[in-house]
Amino acid sequence: MSQVPGKKRGSQLARDIRRHRSVYLLLLFPLTYYIIFKYIPIFNGQIAFKEYMALDGVLGSQWVGLKHFKTFTNSYYFIELLRNTLMYSVGKLLFSLPLAIILSITIYECNKPTLRKMVQTLAYLPHFLSWVIMYGILLALLAPGDGIINDIIKLFGGKPLDFLTNTNAFPWIVIFSDAWKEMGWGAIIFIAALMGIDPSLFEAALVEGASSWQRVRYITLPSIRPVIIIVVLLRLGTILDAGFNQIFMLYSTPVLSVADIIDTWVYRQGLLEFQFGLATAVGLFKGFIGMFLILGSNRLVRRFGGNPLF
Amino acid sequence: MVMKQQNKQSRYRRVGTTSVAIKPGKSDHVFNLVVDLFLIVLLVIIAVPLWSTITLSFRPNDYIGNNLQGMFLAPWEWSFSAYKALLGNQGFLLAFKNSFLILTGGVVTALLLTIPLAYVLSIPTLPGRKYLSLLVVIPYVFNVGMIPTYLLVTNIGLIDHLAAIFLPGAISTYNCLIMRSFFEGLPSELKESARIDGASEIQVLVRIILPLSKAIIMTIGLFYGVSFWNDFFHAMLYLNSNHLQPLPILLRNILMASGMNEYVEVSAFGDAPIAAIKAASVFMSAIPMIIAYPFIQKYFTKGTLLGSVKG
Repeated sequence: MSQVPGKKRGSQLARDIRRHRSVYLLLLFPLTYYIIFKYIPIFNGQIAFKEYMALDGVLGSQWVGLKHFKTFTNSYYFIELLRNTLMYSVGKLLFSLPLAIILSITIYECNKPTLRKMVQTLAYLPHFLSWVIMYGILLALLAPGDGIINDIIKLFGGKPLDFLTNTNAFPWIVIFSDAWKEMGWGAIIFIAALMGIDPSLFEAALVEGASSWQRVRYITLPSIRPVIIIVVLLRLGTILDAGFNQIFMLYSTPVLSVADIIDTWVYRQGLLEFQFGLATAVGLFKGFIGMFLILGSNRLVRRFGGNPLF
Repeated sequence: MVMKQQNKQSRYRRVGTTSVAIKPGKSDHVFNLVVDLFLIVLLVIIAVPLWSTITLSFRPNDYIGNNLQGMFLAPWEWSFSAYKALLGNQGFLLAFKNSFLILTGGVVTALLLTIPLAYVLSIPTLPGRKYLSLLVVIPYVFNVGMIPTYLLVTNIGLIDHLAAIFLPGAISTYNCLIMRSFFEGLPSELKESARIDGASEIQVLVRIILPLSKAIIMTIGLFYGVSFWNDFFHAMLYLNSNHLQPLPILLRNILMASGMNEYVEVSAFGDAPIAAIKAASVFMSAIPMIIAYPFIQKYFTKGTLLGSVKG
């Protein structure tokens, strides 16, 4: 008697496997890829606990326990790196999120189709440009000798400024240039949400004599509030990513104290100074905190009615 | 009539033109003015940096004004000397070719790997689907950073191969999961009837899923394309030989060059002004993105990429 359900389950499994035989063929290359390019790096992560020697390889190197982690947390740059990383990621969030929201609402409210189309087309474009190209554009704008901004400063009798090597100006350049590049792209999600608002709400507001300002305040903004919350939560999940490519292209020795973030530091320690163990330890430290942030933010997103990817 | 008007307006509802006949108040005019003004200011802020780079690239050799004045230079006074110099330069053409090889090789590899995985993940009756999802998501959630991947690429001998640029990023978990949600959203009756008729999963994928998925494949392919075309970091890490350098690396070297320099022989670009050469190479590097852009825009505004959040 007791064997029957078991047997049935077994044959069910066998049937499932037979039925999905071609599935294994489909998975052959992607899974091989995953094991080589995604799981071997995780395995290589063990050198965070080792004194890595290229000749001994990952497995042969000596274990040193938490030495690299202690070196990092006890060093003076630990606080500086953490501060800069958070300064940029939080600064970008605080600056470009309201901009993206305002942009989406103005695009939605604009009753001039040509203007709306022009803004939409031009605002999304910079997202597709690399930070190398962005650096070229910023040079034409900010260069100390012949940049447009300095031309304007000189026009009004001011003193030209080398923005990219000035510690006071640099953080603003990073935050502004990121907003310039990504604001339009960030607005798309809110525009999609605005499209979903029931038009009868606006008609009712019109009949009741609500002004345009009141419409935005009491209908538009509350309607996209859940999406705003979800976007903020998803961004909080990756708060330790301050934008490696951007900082890497823009920074230089004079501004290192305000420009260096965890990722750029890991790059320099690991690939320029060959401190593989220490650099991996810092990368692992960041990955570990990042994991809890992503899982936490995903859980909250789900609670707020969002639909996270996993 | 009213219905027709509402249908026409339904995408961008225009409250002021609905059937309700109410005169707009004074505050509405102010509101519309503020909205238009904001968008115009924004348009200028986005356009000026782009325009300044473009005009700089067309700067004549004997131009004496500054960059600000250069922005208002009449198009018939523009000079193509910087572009002539770039297109006549072997190194630049080679870099363009390398970038193109990385782009095409990368997109084809990435799609061939991503599509089957995304499809298998979308089969609801798949035994062990949960574990497969976990396997895919773990490396995405726990990111070990750049050094362990660098060691891998070094150890498997990919250094100085163009494939080193796109292989580490050939499956983006994010792109894969977006594609999976799209496949899951396709009507299940089609897939089921094909399976009942005895079609294998490969046949279902090729005959039924793929023809219905052009939009998502285009979108994801273009996302991959943008990331491979724009990549300079992996090229910097993994390519040592000069003849393998892709465009972003050459562009970076040209931009970092200040007159006499250690990276690039700027003199190799003839007599065009260095600033114009820099701006022209910026513009040339962006051209494929600018050409592809209208096609991308058609898809991404539909919201296919918004898989993470329901609007």
